[in-house]
Amino acid sequence: MVLSHEFKVLLEREPKFIDIMCSLEATARQPKGIINETKEVVAIARKFNDEVVRPYALELDRLRTEDPEFLPWEFVKKANEWGFYTMWIPKIFGGKGYCMPSMSYFIEEIGSACLAMANLIGVHYLGFATLTATWNMRLVNRLAREVAKGEKTGAPCLISLAITEPGAGTDVEEIDLIDKGKITCHAGKVKGGYVVNGSKVFISNGHISAWHMLIAYSDLKRPSDTPVVLAVPTGAKGFSFGRQEHKMGQKGCPASELIFEDCFIPDELVAMDDEQCRGLSRKTREATMQVIDYVVSVTRAGVGAFGTGVARGAFEEALKFAGETEVDGKLLINHEWAQCMLAEMYKNVTIARLCYVETNYANGMYGFFKTLQMKPMYYCAKMLPKFYIDLVIAPLMSKHFMTKLMRKIGLDGQKDEEIHRTSGWASIAKVVGTDAGIRNCQLALEMMGQAGLRQDRVAEKHLRDSKLLQIYEGTNQLNRLNIFKCLIARSCPQAVVFDE
Amino acid sequence: MLTYTNPELKPFEELAGQFARNELASGREEHDNYPFGPFFHGVLARAHEAGFLGIILPEHQGGIGQGTGALCVILDSISRADASLAGILFTTALAQQILMEAGAFDAIRTITGGASKAEEALIAFPAFANPSELAPSVFAKNEEGRYTLFGTCDYLVLGGLARYGLIPARVHGRKGYSFFIVDLAAPGVTKSGPVVSLGFHACPAVDVKIRDVDGTIAGSEGDGAVLFERAAEKMHIAAAAIACGIMKGSFVEALSYAKERFQGGREIVKWSEVRMILANMAVKVDVADMTLAGACRAAEEKHPGWETKSRAVAIRIQDDACELTTDGIQVLGGYGYMKDYGQEKRFRDAKQVQALLGMAPMKKLKYFEKVAE
Repeated sequence: MVLSHEFKVLLEREPKFIDIMCSLEATARQPKGIINETKEVVAIARKFNDEVVRPYALELDRLRTEDPEFLPWEFVKKANEWGFYTMWIPKIFGGKGYCMPSMSYFIEEIGSACLAMANLIGVHYLGFATLTATWNMRLVNRLAREVAKGEKTGAPCLISLAITEPGAGTDVEEIDLIDKGKITCHAGKVKGGYVVNGSKVFISNGHISAWHMLIAYSDLKRPSDTPVVLAVPTGAKGFSFGRQEHKMGQKGCPASELIFEDCFIPDELVAMDDEQCRGLSRKTREATMQVIDYVVSVTRAGVGAFGTGVARGAFEEALKFAGETEVDGKLLINHEWAQCMLAEMYKNVTIARLCYVETNYANGMYGFFKTLQMKPMYYCAKMLPKFYIDLVIAPLMSKHFMTKLMRKIGLDGQKDEEIHRTSGWASIAKVVGTDAGIRNCQLALEMMGQAGLRQDRVAEKHLRDSKLLQIYEGTNQLNRLNIFKCLIARSCPQAVVFDE
Repeated sequence: MLTYTNPELKPFEELAGQFARNELASGREEHDNYPFGPFFHGVLARAHEAGFLGIILPEHQGGIGQGTGALCVILDSISRADASLAGILFTTALAQQILMEAGAFDAIRTITGGASKAEEALIAFPAFANPSELAPSVFAKNEEGRYTLFGTCDYLVLGGLARYGLIPARVHGRKGYSFFIVDLAAPGVTKSGPVVSLGFHACPAVDVKIRDVDGTIAGSEGDGAVLFERAAEKMHIAAAAIACGIMKGSFVEALSYAKERFQGGREIVKWSEVRMILANMAVKVDVADMTLAGACRAAEEKHPGWETKSRAVAIRIQDDACELTTDGIQVLGGYGYMKDYGQEKRFRDAKQVQALLGMAPMKKLKYFEKVAE
């Protein structure tokens, strides 16, 4: 049998046990409360789908087709009323504090009915995740509390992420490419802040967000060393919205152009820059990639959940059609080929879900969710009374040392192999989920024939919506390369990535 | 390739190519806005003037007397720019083919010969369904040789534009179904607004309710399935030609973009993964082009088994078009998903084409039935 000294060596062999069994490691360690929270979240999402999403999804799609300038405020206000914009903001920042992994299940549910609406909720957390990944606790506290206030007053306060540029999409998501990319959004350091010039494109929720987490660069010749993360409020002088893109699908969710012309952003809204990175164990370049990986490890899993959702939505439409339509003299569902096709679709959904769930486990053990999912922290955050949070914790968050402390824990505390594990898994979840989305939509339309082509049968909308998933949050090609870089390349020291 | 194997088709390719460049390419986005923008009546009128609405009809029937090859060359060339018009030509040609199979030449003369404008030459037809698969829900009553129709016909392509429709209906007391020519302007015909669809926006369909409307039978009672299958044998290749044109358009646009767009400091065409995607696209285009040309030749020269083999060609090309147009968007990234470029429309249109003449899996099974025979 295996000798004790062989044990570690064998498990370290590729594929490393720790990389492929995140769930096995995590299930015993995670707080049990997460299970009931997740059940609650799924139940809420299903009710919201019945009452809000399904009755309005086709109408919103049509309204935005007729008038691409129409903004989905009606839906955003409903989501705000239901409390979705604070649901995954920790209680210490004034939110409801649901566990982060439960959001994936939530967006799978909403995405199964309408991807655009899932985006109108989920993309807000892309902005919030970016802010949180800088661990600038003062700014996190400030913006999160504005979101909470917006919920109370009925004026939704959403956060977007502005990173893609007209000449650079994939380049800005990978530190090895960014210096070779056509980067143009400049943040020049001036006394008391930064002056921003340039533009961003394809910014989801841009026109309807109150805050925009903007990634600009103080030196366009070496952007990898000089990123600046800024919180830009809508209405800031020198900041305006350009056109809304005319998309094939996900029409309900605006994709905006953001234009900056001598836009001054004061120091208090600088979430992270070179100066703030000093004192971290990693250099700015590596710290930048770590922040990107930190964010995408969560958001790519989220896109995987979107893909799972739309794959499920397509399956459900096909199943419904097969159960009520006679083809060649008998119900379609009783044709053996149709049963196998439906089983294939069901299988695709299940595999896609398993991938984002595994990524959640990885993030809980080694990434973004780690701090909040440690049992003492989790239960402490649940049980602290609100007055105590408001009186004691919130003021602490505004102190500089809290940012320093959290960066020490969050950024310095994460090992390189943990970054690779979480980032690699997130790319797997993204690619598997989004490919499943497209595949199932294609199969659903094939099965439904003429009926599948009609907007009022929903399946064609799922197909149009799903294609974008293979593109944003890094194209699936970039994500495949990231899987290679994070999980495969280390076993071949001669391998070079992004430098063909 | 079609014109290489048959040089006589060259003028049709040039004519349709010129038409696509002049009439379709620049207005693609605007035409695609229908039904939320205007319909391209002007383009349709000029297509009519060019003879595109009567390609397969004999000259004495008001057509230009060409065969499957010419139809395919024209559909292929037009679909590179905008497949919606190809959808209109296909639907009308399919209805004409069924009428010819039925020997209903008088009806064709009445419709096409008397048409002073394009809309009058169109024949509405449920081109995305095989009536044998989904039994028609229009019924016909025969009262001493006079047929009265009632029921609903969903997704009647061109139903909102054409004066006449060719409607499959079940005759009381008879097995199977039959085709009837119906005046869509007759009292008792109620049309929905244009059905909002995945693709082919400028080749619109409507749902039609029919209540006690006279219909003229094409062929005889219960022979609808036979007529449809005979017509479909030729029209499968035409559907493949539309898919082939879409594929060519998608590849050309992807290649052109890849040569201009920079990523990581160089044109994306220089990254081997992008080259691999483009290579896969090119392979599909060339295979489609070659097999389509072969299928057309086999059909025109009546090679043994051409009917079955052409079905296989159509299935393969239509499947490949769906895959290829997905990659066509991917090469352009976010821009490919936007209406400013043609890729997203091609993606939608390719999927739409796959449903022509019936459900894709059923077409495969039907093909296998023929093979097994």
